[in-house]
Formats: sequence, C-alpha cells, structure tokens
Amino acid sequence: MTMALAIIRRRARRWALNGAAAVALGYILMPLIFVIWLAFFRQEIPSFPPEGYSLKWFAAILDQRKFVDGFRNSIQVGVLATLIGLALGVPAALCLSRFQFKLRTPLANLLLMPLIVPGVVLGTAMYVFHVELEIGLDMDVLGTFYALVAGHIVIVIPWVVRLVTASLAGVDRATEEAAQNLGANPWVTFWRITLPTIRPGIVAGALFGFVTSFGNLEMSLFLVGPGRTTLPIVILQYLEWKIDPTIAAVSVVQILLIGISMLITDRYVKLARVV
Amino acid sequence: MTDTALAHAPAADRRRGEGLTAGMLIVPASIFVAFCLLAPLAILFRYSLNEFVTTKKMMVEAVTLANYVKFFTDPYYTTILGVTVRVAVTVTAVCLVLGFPLAYVVARTQSRFKHLLIIAIVLPLFVGNAVRAAGWMTVFGSRGFLNTTLQWLGLIDKPLEIMFTETAVIVGIIAVNLPFMVLSLQSVIEGIDRSVEEAAFSLGAPPGTMFRRVLWPLALPGILAGTILTFILAMNAYATPFLLGGPLFKMMAPLIYNQFTQQTNWPFGGAIAFILMTVTLGLTMAANLLIQRRRAS
Repeated sequence: MTMALAIIRRRARRWALNGAAAVALGYILMPLIFVIWLAFFRQEIPSFPPEGYSLKWFAAILDQRKFVDGFRNSIQVGVLATLIGLALGVPAALCLSRFQFKLRTPLANLLLMPLIVPGVVLGTAMYVFHVELEIGLDMDVLGTFYALVAGHIVIVIPWVVRLVTASLAGVDRATEEAAQNLGANPWVTFWRITLPTIRPGIVAGALFGFVTSFGNLEMSLFLVGPGRTTLPIVILQYLEWKIDPTIAAVSVVQILLIGISMLITDRYVKLARVV
Repeated sequence: MTDTALAHAPAADRRRGEGLTAGMLIVPASIFVAFCLLAPLAILFRYSLNEFVTTKKMMVEAVTLANYVKFFTDPYYTTILGVTVRVAVTVTAVCLVLGFPLAYVVARTQSRFKHLLIIAIVLPLFVGNAVRAAGWMTVFGSRGFLNTTLQWLGLIDKPLEIMFTETAVIVGIIAVNLPFMVLSLQSVIEGIDRSVEEAAFSLGAPPGTMFRRVLWPLALPGILAGTILTFILAMNAYATPFLLGGPLFKMMAPLIYNQFTQQTNWPFGGAIAFILMTVTLGLTMAANLLIQRRRAS
C-alpha cells in the first residue's frame, strides 16, 4: 500500500515538473505562435476570432519595396560582417587558446566586451564616433554601408571567439605535434589538422554571428542611413504604427528562414553544446 | 555567459618565436575592436561632460558634471531609472522560477527529440524582439486574443487595458529573456552527476530538501550566470518597452534613444548611457557579492 502510494506520489511529481516545463516552453513560443496565426487571417485587423483564413498577405509582402530592400540590406550586411568577423575572430581564438602571454586576459575581455555593452550604448557611441571621424577625415562616414558593416563586425567577433575557443578546448594538441614531427610546417598543420577539427566551432560561430547581425536592432538604429534600412528596423517602424497580417507574414518568412538554417546547422554541430 | 574555455589558461607553453605568431594572430581583432568600440565609448564619455545649450540646440565644449547632476536631481529621470530597475528585477525573478523546471527537464531528458527542444528554445532568440512584440500585440490588443477570450467566458464586460502598461512590458521582456535563463541553467545542470541526486533521495531526503541542499548549491554558478545575463538584458531592453509600453511608458534604453535623436542632446544622452551601464554593473556586482558572502557563511 505504501509502495503504491510512493509510486503515485513520484508520478505526480514528475507530471508537475513536466507541466511546469511545458508552461515555460509555451510561454517562450507563444508570441511566435500568435504571429504565425495572424499571418493567415483574412481580415486586416487583428481581432479574434478570425473571420477566415487567407494566403494573400504573403503576396502583399512583395508589393512593399521596404521589406524586400530591408531584407536585402540585412543579408548583405550580415554576410559581409560575418566573413570579416571570421577572418579576425578565428585567428584570435587560436591565439587565446594556444598561447600564454601577459595581455591574454585583458585581450580576451576586450574581444568579448561587445556582448556586455548594451545595444543602445553601442549605437550612440558609434554614432558620435562616426560624427568625429566625418569631421576629422572630411569624408562621409555616418550612415554609410561600410560604417554599418564595421559596427556589425564588432558584434560578430565575440560570438566567433567564444564558439571557436570552446571547440579548440577539446582538441588534443598531440595530433598537431605529431604532424609537425612528421615534417608538416605550421600552415600545413593548420589546414590539414587544426581547421578540420574546429570546423564545427567555425560553423557555429558563423551562424551565431550572422544571426546576431541579421537581427540587430538597437545598434543599427543609430547607424543606418536613409534608404539603407535593415529588416528589423523596417519591422519596428511598421509596428510603431500598426499591427496587421502583412507584418506577421514578413515575420513568418523570417522565422522559417532562421528555423531552417538552425536545423541545418544542428546536423553539423549539436546546438545544445554550443549555446 | 562565463566561458570555461576562456577562464582557464592553457598549460603554459612558451617557445621562442611563438610570441610573434601569437601577436600576429590576435592583434588585428584587438585593434579592430579597440578602434570601433573603445574609441567610440571614450568619445561618448567625453561628450557626456560637455554642455548643451537648450535654446540653440547646440553642444558646447566643457568639462562639467552638469548632465549627471541633472539626471539625479530631476525626479522625472530618477523615476525612469527606478521603473527600469523594478522591471528588470521582476523579470529576472520570474525567469528564474519559470526557467528552472524547463532547464532541468531539458538537461535530464533522454528523448531523441532533445535537439528539437533546444531549437524551440533558441529559435525565438534569433527571431528578434520586434517580431515577438508583434505576437504580444496580437494577444493584448483591445480586440486581441486575451480580451476576446475573457469576454467570451463572461469574466469581463469591457476589454482590459493591457497594451501600453508596465504589465505588458514585463510579460514581453520575460518571454525575451527566458531562453537565456534556461540555457544558462541547463548547461550547468547537465554537468551535475545524476547519482548525486539519487544519493540524496536514497538517504531519505524529500524532493524539496534535495533541491535546496543538493541541486541549488551545485547549480549556483549557472543560476548566477543566468540571473546576471537576464538582469542586464532587461535593464537594456529597447524594442519591447518601445512597442508594448507605448509613448508614455519610459525605460532607460528608449530614453537614451529619444535624447539622441529627438532632442539631439548628445551630452545628456551620453551621460544617461553611462549611468545605465554603471547602475547595471553596480547592481550586478552587489548581488554577486551578497550571494557569495551568504554562500561562504
């Protein structure tokens, strides 16, 4: 009898735990679920229950130049910032995990610092910096494409450094030393031994860097010039005036793209291990 | 956010000539970040000491603390700081309570769908705050899901005003920050050996005691990392208070943006930026010290 009671109690506790976990997961996903639902409403006003369902809002996206342009700008900035961020961040990560030197900790902190500085502060600081540069150099800086990319590189670097350093921590140096003993020079060792082993870290760093750049709002608000608005800013400015199925459809496209790219990345690196 | 890989230095290996290689590897990134981040922060700080002539809407070079004094002596601004801290503390506490069970289940599950569970938690992070705010706008609006459901159930006669309130902002930021809390906790719980829990149970500890005496102390590093991250993010929230709080509800980040772009008062905007960073760091460090002292005693 007591045994049965104990089993029941144990089951009840497990159900309570799983229930609490489900509530939290539901909470996280709720805003996305409602955005996706809204994208298929027939009427324009987000009132419940919907009068019917329709796919017309997805076609409506293409009529609005600003969404298409914003999307293209975001992709361009994200790709360029990620590539340069990798070129700068991967060697830095190699250095941080392979060498012991006096400035190691301060430099590591410097490279991770953009993660801690608030987006709005990053944006304001870069804004005044660009103003000063513009005065000092007598050329256009503020609101240019390259100034925006430079800002995005700053927020991509810490992700690359973190994830590549994490994946380097698991690499056995013996393999590299063996290669060098067998006559491989440092470059060959890097290309043939080190790079393949840290590829998951690089893929994860590139993905997180790109997604951070693609979704950045606060910093970019200060850096975009007229006609160069990125997608998150277009969405924010639209939502300031109204919420309707068109903006929800834009969001669904974004959710789909990010979801698919995460599923693909998950095949190469277990996301559970890199986040 | 603390990185074990970075916190622990590798076994020292000093060979001649490696210094040069090391330098060549790390210097470009360091110079880039220093130039694009430290220099701008330094200039912003210098600006915050300048004067602003309101009548001409112009910045005048000076070295004065007037902007900082103005912030702390005007109740309008100190109230905004107070609201921001209150929202951030509430959000962090709720995130910890809501996040722990989910983190525990994710860390302990044997299911082969675990990676999908992780993706479900991480995906919203990458979708952007504005999109998630749009979801809440659909729920909270006067003809939104919540009001329609409550009216249909006969619980209320006329729609509740939830949009543009502090409640809406808090609900929104919790959803934004919860994944960060869950991921911080989950990574630490995964590192705790399950047999430690089993041992507590087999020695007769009820689940409450096991949680308090075993799981909580062992998970403390993750709890600290998660609460710190959640708190910082809530203090700096921009899109959620902007969209769900409306024009009258003010938090620090939208205030900075407003001072910069609408008022074009760069010195004061710069001062608020540094006040926000200092208060956030100060409160984080104070909480950290408090917890460590209690742990030691």
